[in-house]
Amino acid sequence: MNQADVSKLISQLRIVVRPKNRNLKNPDGPEGRLLKLRKTVTALVKHERIELYYNRADEARGYAELLISNAIRHGDRHKPTMELADYWLLEKQLVHKLFKVLVPRYDNYNVSYTRMYKAPRDYPGMYYKKSVLELRGNPYPTLCADQTQNRNLLHNVLLDEARKEFRREKVADLANKLNVATEAPKKTVEESSDTIKPTAI
Amino acid sequence: MSAASKIHKATWCAFRNLEQYRTKAKFSSSAIGTRNELFNQEQRRQQDAVGRIEKIEIRYLGLPEDVTLLMNKHISTPYNCAQHLSEGHCKRSALALIDGTIPWDMHRPLQESCTLQLLPFNVSEPHVVNKAFWRTCSFLLGAALHKSFKSEANLQLHSFPGPNIKSGSFVHDIVLSSQRWQPSKSELRAISAEMVKMSAQDILIERLDVQQELAYEMFKDSRYKSEQLPSIGKQNQGRVTLYRVGEHIDISRGPMVASTRFLGKCTIGVSHKLANEGSSGAFYRIQGIALPSGYMLNHFAFGLLEQRAQKLNSARLPHEPFEEPQQMQIS
Amino acid sequence: MNVNGFCRIVSKKLPQQFAYKRIVTFSTKPAQQQQEATVSTPTLPNNNTPAARKPIVPGHYRFVYPEFLPDPKVQWRNTVREKLERLDMLARRGQVDLPEFYVGSILAVTSSDPHAAGKTSRFVGICIHRERCGLRARFILRNVIDHQGMEVLYELYDPTIQKVEVLRLEKRLDDSLFYLRDALPEFSTFDENMEAEHLEEGAPVPVNDIKVVLRPRPWLERWERQNLLGVANIEQYIKDKHRKSAAKVQKPWEKYDLMKQYRATIPEEEQKEIFAEVHTELHTLELQRKRNKRKRSFIKPKQLA
Repeated sequence: MNQADVSKLISQLRIVVRPKNRNLKNPDGPEGRLLKLRKTVTALVKHERIELYYNRADEARGYAELLISNAIRHGDRHKPTMELADYWLLEKQLVHKLFKVLVPRYDNYNVSYTRMYKAPRDYPGMYYKKSVLELRGNPYPTLCADQTQNRNLLHNVLLDEARKEFRREKVADLANKLNVATEAPKKTVEESSDTIKPTAI
Repeated sequence: MSAASKIHKATWCAFRNLEQYRTKAKFSSSAIGTRNELFNQEQRRQQDAVGRIEKIEIRYLGLPEDVTLLMNKHISTPYNCAQHLSEGHCKRSALALIDGTIPWDMHRPLQESCTLQLLPFNVSEPHVVNKAFWRTCSFLLGAALHKSFKSEANLQLHSFPGPNIKSGSFVHDIVLSSQRWQPSKSELRAISAEMVKMSAQDILIERLDVQQELAYEMFKDSRYKSEQLPSIGKQNQGRVTLYRVGEHIDISRGPMVASTRFLGKCTIGVSHKLANEGSSGAFYRIQGIALPSGYMLNHFAFGLLEQRAQKLNSARLPHEPFEEPQQMQIS
Repeated sequence: MNVNGFCRIVSKKLPQQFAYKRIVTFSTKPAQQQQEATVSTPTLPNNNTPAARKPIVPGHYRFVYPEFLPDPKVQWRNTVREKLERLDMLARRGQVDLPEFYVGSILAVTSSDPHAAGKTSRFVGICIHRERCGLRARFILRNVIDHQGMEVLYELYDPTIQKVEVLRLEKRLDDSLFYLRDALPEFSTFDENMEAEHLEEGAPVPVNDIKVVLRPRPWLERWERQNLLGVANIEQYIKDKHRKSAAKVQKPWEKYDLMKQYRATIPEEEQKEIFAEVHTELHTLELQRKRNKRKRSFIKPKQLA
């Protein structure tokens, strides 16, 4: 039962966070691990879509998310945030990209800033799982085409037809009602005229 | 005392049911067994008739890249080509497209050099696959009906009209010896369950082109099929296309999807009586709705589709006289 | 104090300005009329009541009530248990007044003790450590009594605690003051009859930047490795080999390890949810405490007379 650290206030991440970190096998220990992840995060910010081993991508994803969320939270006038950006982005021109391109892009997002896909691995080849990590809103074509809007898919065809039939029935119903309504008053008028006539006579 | 008698009763009922099943099995084995035997023999004969193996060049178009495959003429199927690509291709592809126009069953041997596309259900233009799927559903419904009815019902499959997805339901027309059959909900559910069972078993759907005479012999005990055969044979230069799933064999133009595995959500919704047949029999139209496996649809939307599938399908009725010879071919 | 007062004025004024701006951006004529109406009428606050009514949790709550935040370790989380614990904590706070205090504050805790004369014992000391969360929250008080260092570990929500007084509310430079155990005794000696020092309301908690003088080695811990700010003479006692080994265990990259920090904290959204749940009750308790304090301060001179 440890007490939560209250000295820092961090926004909630919109990705699933593992309870423990991965050590990413490294002779230099945690520092070397961070260096690996810095390279990945730098590449991600630079290229916006990268393909790499799953473990490393999953680790780097959290850091990239937090870096962006901190940048959005504090802006470029905040010294610790600037130090963070300086540490995590090995190529310094990317610091400008972070604050001037990515922060405006993700300002109004309510989903995660990055996206991760599982990628197929070569067979035969290394056993490690592979993945694709990308920033949302990147300029490349999407990796998974959105099939839900395809009107030709079987269930969409069925639903479209069902909708059309429902409308047809509704229109037919309305027409029937109108017919009944228009016929009925005529009759009443005739009847009334009939009834009036004798009195007139 | 009462509990003991209950148990006794239950076991006796089970035993009687079992007896019935046995007689049914005997009955079916006599008719269906010979049909399957003939099917197997013809299949083997055709395989042996290939003789010297020739090579053909199949140009595969699609993901991950376009490749040319060197395959065996009259032996290799599109499925074999997919095996060269990846496991995912094998699993996903429901139908093949030859030369960009001709739909081709996944397990039908290729005849000559051509281009090949493999069609899963989520391609951008899935009309062909959808149609094949709908036809397969009608075909599988026939198999499911065969499994669910006892021999006393004297079930005879008549035919199924060509697939029309926009009508909202797939159809199989049957003849029963009863004129007042009205299935209860649980009975319809049992038929749906048969369909689902088949889809879980992942049975291959085999295709075989046979001569008309052989088809006659196979369907000699089925009155309606024998009646239909001459007109079918006339259209197709005396050849008839047969499909088999498990033990069930039926006539169909094809193509069909590769396996029963592609059948996902499925409901057999209703049976409409169409007309009386003879003194005691009647035509019934069984209708259902299905989605390919892997399609997600919420239960409300699917409920709407189920409701719509209850209405009588407007496809050509089996007891009406054929108007044009073009339409005579059953699906 | 001045700054704080200014802040309050600004915070009062800001919503008005925002309301003003909001109207302007939407406005054509009717809005202008509204504006004039608001300016002319003296009942300005009415305009802002919907905003004011929302339960706004003050930002400092996470420092004042850190034990209300759950353990960030995901494997040990259980939202239902946490909620029940918070209810229990509030119930306990309704019984006994548990004031705001920090590591470095001087406290007097009165607890029931079956072996003490009068069945209660009162201990005065400096809080050198706070740990754990929820109902298990606890702290350590340290004092030197009769030239003998004494430490008492109290659980904050222990039902035997009768009274917790904060005699001097302040912070120190470090997060825990275990090094007082190795410091000269005068740095952890506090008078038992010390009077409570009054801190002005709304003023920030002062940070006592006193530098403690350590005794010579041997020490209980290797203080040279811990980057302590509140120790004056650490350099006096360490040799080169200590310096080297201390440099070896430094982890300067940890302040950049964002995920490590994330895993050690409760994210802001979750904190808000938690404090929104307990805010009203904590607030009423605070108000009650203030009222009681005023009463007591009024009564005291009478007793003396």
